[in-house]
Amino acid sequence: MAREVKLPQLGQTMEEGTIVNTLVKPGDQVSKGDVLFEVETDKATLEVESPADGFVKAILVENGQTLPINAPILVLGEENETVDAGAYKTEAPACEPDKHSAAEPATEHCEPAPASPRSSQSVAETGPTTQVVRMPKLGQTMEEGTIVNTLVNVGDEVKKGDVLFEVETDKATLEAEAPADGCVKAILVELGQTVPVNEPLMVLADRDENVPQGFLDALMHEGTAPAETVPDHVTAAQHAAAAPETMTPRPAGPTVAPSGPAERVFATPRARMIAQELGIDLRGLTPANALRIVEADVRRAAQAVGKKTKDHGVISAVSPKYTFGQKIPLNRLQRIVAEKMLWSKQHIPCFYLTIRADVTALVALRAKLNKTSSVKLSFNDFILRALAAGMQHYPIMTGQLDGDHIQLAASLDFGLAISTDDGLIAPIVRDCGARSVYDIAAYCKDLIERTRAGKLTLDDLEGGCITVSNLGGFGIEAFIPIVVPGQTSILGVGAITDTVVPSDGNLLVRKLMTLTLSVDHKVVNGAEAAQFLDFVKKHLEHPDALVES
Amino acid sequence: MAFSLEDRRQKTPPKIIDLISKNLITKEQALDWLRSIYEIRFFEDKVYDLLGQNIIKGASHLYAGQEAVAVGACSAIQKGDVIGSTHRGHGHCGAIGNKYAETEELRQMHWNRMMAELMGKETGYCNGRGGSMHIADVKHGNLGSTGIVGGNIPNAVGAALAEKYKKSGAVVLSFFGDGATNTGAFHESMNMASVQGAPLVAIIENNLYGMSVPFSGSPVEGAGCAANVEHIAERAAAYGVPGMIVDGQDTAAVFLAVKDAVEHARTHTEMTIIECKTYRWYGHSRSDPRVYRTKEEEKAWKDRDPINVLSKKLLDEKLASKEELDAIRARAEKTIEDATQFAMDSPWPKPEELTKDVYVQETYPDEMAAKDRDNAKKALTATRAYESLIKTLQGKTKKEISEKAKEQIKADYGMSVLAMKDAIVQAQAEEMRRDPNVYIEGEDVGIYGGAYGATKGLLQEFGKERVIDTAISEAAIVGSAVGAALRGLRPIAEIMYVDFMPICLDQLMHNGAFNRYMFGGHAKVPMVVRTEGGVGRCIAAHHSKSLEPWLVNVPGLYVVMPSTPYDAKGLLKAAIRSDNPVVFIEHKATYGQMGAAPTDDYIIPLGVADVKREGKDVTLVSYSRQVMFCLAAADELAERHGIQAEVIDLRTIKPMDIRTVAESVRKTGRLVTVAESFCMCGVGPEIVRQLFSYTFENGRTGFDYLDAAPVNMAAADVPPPMSEPLENASIPTPDKIVETVKALL
Ligand SMILES: Cc1ncc(C[n+]2csc(CCOP(=O)(O)OP(=O)(O)O)c2C)c(N)n1
Ligand SMILES: [Mg+2]
Repeated sequence: MAREVKLPQLGQTMEEGTIVNTLVKPGDQVSKGDVLFEVETDKATLEVESPADGFVKAILVENGQTLPINAPILVLGEENETVDAGAYKTEAPACEPDKHSAAEPATEHCEPAPASPRSSQSVAETGPTTQVVRMPKLGQTMEEGTIVNTLVNVGDEVKKGDVLFEVETDKATLEAEAPADGCVKAILVELGQTVPVNEPLMVLADRDENVPQGFLDALMHEGTAPAETVPDHVTAAQHAAAAPETMTPRPAGPTVAPSGPAERVFATPRARMIAQELGIDLRGLTPANALRIVEADVRRAAQAVGKKTKDHGVISAVSPKYTFGQKIPLNRLQRIVAEKMLWSKQHIPCFYLTIRADVTALVALRAKLNKTSSVKLSFNDFILRALAAGMQHYPIMTGQLDGDHIQLAASLDFGLAISTDDGLIAPIVRDCGARSVYDIAAYCKDLIERTRAGKLTLDDLEGGCITVSNLGGFGIEAFIPIVVPGQTSILGVGAITDTVVPSDGNLLVRKLMTLTLSVDHKVVNGAEAAQFLDFVKKHLEHPDALVES
Repeated sequence: MAFSLEDRRQKTPPKIIDLISKNLITKEQALDWLRSIYEIRFFEDKVYDLLGQNIIKGASHLYAGQEAVAVGACSAIQKGDVIGSTHRGHGHCGAIGNKYAETEELRQMHWNRMMAELMGKETGYCNGRGGSMHIADVKHGNLGSTGIVGGNIPNAVGAALAEKYKKSGAVVLSFFGDGATNTGAFHESMNMASVQGAPLVAIIENNLYGMSVPFSGSPVEGAGCAANVEHIAERAAAYGVPGMIVDGQDTAAVFLAVKDAVEHARTHTEMTIIECKTYRWYGHSRSDPRVYRTKEEEKAWKDRDPINVLSKKLLDEKLASKEELDAIRARAEKTIEDATQFAMDSPWPKPEELTKDVYVQETYPDEMAAKDRDNAKKALTATRAYESLIKTLQGKTKKEISEKAKEQIKADYGMSVLAMKDAIVQAQAEEMRRDPNVYIEGEDVGIYGGAYGATKGLLQEFGKERVIDTAISEAAIVGSAVGAALRGLRPIAEIMYVDFMPICLDQLMHNGAFNRYMFGGHAKVPMVVRTEGGVGRCIAAHHSKSLEPWLVNVPGLYVVMPSTPYDAKGLLKAAIRSDNPVVFIEHKATYGQMGAAPTDDYIIPLGVADVKREGKDVTLVSYSRQVMFCLAAADELAERHGIQAEVIDLRTIKPMDIRTVAESVRKTGRLVTVAESFCMCGVGPEIVRQLFSYTFENGRTGFDYLDAAPVNMAAADVPPPMSEPLENASIPTPDKIVETVKALL
């Protein structure tokens, strides 16, 4: 029986070998151990021995040929056996072409560009890869954005999708991404600058492409291009270059004090952990006697704001954040809150309803469910669920006066007021009508996390027909909240308090919660709103249905 | 008998028929020699092939050509005797396995497991952990082999001495190459075996070359030369023992020579050195082009193939027909083919079991840990009481005061006060009384009582058999302890200074610590290496280091470093009872340190730290003498600076009780590690590394609880200087600890 002899691995690291000498020829008789070939590796010249006695039927390699290990190199057989060498040869893996000689010299993408042959081009002409990045429209209603962080520098190579700027709008902080790969040639805006949608922000081009100064100047003076000539927030340079030379000057200065890039807070891991547990914002702290914030600084701060800590249960007097006579700059969020609340008071004539719900059963139910539930259920989750049930019976509660008619909402989107370090935000929990209380809880958990992390999108902030504002955590029993513009009502939720309640001649201690609803009287009348609120209260008092539905 | 040199090649080669008629062997045995040789040969040829196909990976030093040595020698011993193998060990493993294979099935399984081991399969002798170079069937008296040339010899000597101590009558064959006879380990071992009367037969397989260097020169242009003698057996003169030279290609000759030497070893407990002249067919390893030897030489040796030599005898002496020999050959070939198939079909070891069998798993009853906690606290209080008593009590002499104080402590606390040195002596004495397998060996441990007095009086109680003064041979001391431990004893080897540890680190690491794992968990090495270290006596750089970081870097070792007499005694007793190799490092400045300890038999679990002082502001983690410095610093911090430092004594550095450290840091938020070893890559940084990733029940890590960067205090990166002020400057001291802690808070 014929057998093929393969190139053996003659050393641990051997991967291939070059045949330098063939010591047998077809027809030769060989014994086991006879040397057949001499093979050169990167380490040594070695001998390939015959693995068995037999006759050389075919030699499958030539001197000088380099082969990987295990490639067939010779066929052995019986004396009179006929062997089809071709059958073996086809199996021999072709020797790989020498990669090194074939390889092109590597292109050095990051080397300084050689003097460009295009340097003679006219000032307004740009190379084929030049791209202008413009202020993107990051939400339906966005008209302008403030640059709060610039994440790249001139000369940086960016990839499509890399974040270039953080942009703050009246609703959220958003990211402007690179529309294409390229090298940052020029940054046309400053931190804190508020830029209308579609205005140029940055110029990208291939590293070795020259972007003429005249072109940049033209961009800087460019006004708001007519919307229809700008198909996207990115425009080919040619478009921009064709734009009129002189337009209105660039908006002067930022309209809002810039918050600047977030400063790195130096704090020990322990300080961070305890700050997180106690809800202390490290950014406001100055370390007492170290280079970084330590546990003691956080505990001091926690005492100062009167937050209870597990081991320091005492509440000390609040030390004020501000001093009298100080001018406190208005942050963006507060400015928006101010505008909206003023608008609400001017345009939404409200009436106010207050009711007390007995939530004894709800408290017990929630505690029971939370023992097993993977998401922790909060009272707000139950309230949102109850509101959804109420709206389904009283759809008018979703209405908005629109000229000659009242427009009802298409879906039950509810706001949830969340207090953050920067101020008040009420993002939207979408489609509460279709969600179970668990679903709502998961949604809210994510929403709260994203709110605190500054990761809300514009979508989180638009629409809604009612907002839930809960100050129970602060011990407030009842309060009158202000309706968010665009919505119909707002529910103020107070603290749950143990209250003595007469019942069939007995006195019972029950857990009561006060609900106050502010309602837009342009849309809803007192009787309807009262029935709605009573409905919600009943659901909270018989909470099993809230969980089942 | 003393040195003599017998060149058996000068005599007429033994006839098999004569061996049979003298009842030394049976005809079946002679035929089985041939079968074994064929099996080894086919095994090696197959391994060579499979290496070429990359089915077997790694090193493979093939035994082909030398089979007569392994087969002849292994057939000259009895079951229960022991062999020690080499990096070229397939022949030894093959031959000894055949000896124990009572049935055909077992024989096949034996070769299966050998081939599987070479392929790194779970079904191999060492479950794929050892491979070609560490293949061993430990259960059948194979001590295994080491990839370190010469490193296997001290183990064989220790095994032989253990068999002698146990009076088992067993003999040890120690195989090694010509190249190995130029190592220090060879000399230390032969010297130890000869002077201590080990029942040992040293079998040198002189295949004329190390890797490429000829032992005594070669006609090849450019070849070197390893030794100035031609016959290695002449070196027997250096040890005053008999030497023999035999034809290593003649199985019968090897058999007879080894048989004689084994008888001599058994009856006279004297070793023999047998030099077998032999030759390896293949290169040193597969990639060796063999340029250092001539084709003529190869041919001349191949003409004397052990297969030919033995076959010819069997035919000439009419003990077998050609057909019978062919049948033997065919059978052997099939065995190896089947073994190859078995190995190919075998499963790989599971990566999830990567760390299995590095250690013998040991657990301690909870009560033991609880008792230790109580005892440790009490011992510390009693020690403090003793210290103030000797300051206040009156007496004529210090001794009298101290005796009075001791009595008082006994009365108040029920504890005795003793010096560190005495705690160590007592621990050893108690364990030696309890377990006859415990013995001590080392330099000056006998009549002198140990360089630091840590074995004082033990010779008088236990005699020279159990308290053995050795020559100055660190590698042989530790290596023989490994061998004895493999054979079931519990040696305590004393290395006078930890500074001498690098001399025997090969033995400690490659054999002491690794054997269990390399042999697939089928062996254990219950031994203790006692040594001492640290600065404090102005004896400079060769006698003052703390090398524990080197040792904790070795998987398979435990490292214990006590700080008080109470700890020293309880931990040393635990170390002696442990089934794992333990390095027990005392501090040279603490031997006179007095401390209280219970009077009963107590054990301190290994791997459990002791909180020697509680505090809330900062955690000091230390071990050995530096714990005392930390306690002194903590006193001052409390009294003068209002800082409450918690002091943790690790006691055992490996395994490390990181939990106790982490729980403390969770409380204090600040960590200072204090050690006397060099600062780079020390124990302190290791504590920090483990702390960072230690995860608490709440998901938080040790890192989260840190309120300041941890500080590692350790010896400066300088060779320990002699001069006292420099010596002090080179290590942490109480005042430096105080300053460091103050700066941290
Ligand atoms: C301490 C040590 N040095 C060098 C080596 C590399 N090495 C492995 S085997 C060998 C040759 C050993 O010669 P010998 O003892 O005669 O045994 P042989 O290989 O001839 O069987 C060498 C140099 C090693 N493994 N260990
Ligand atoms: Mg050799």
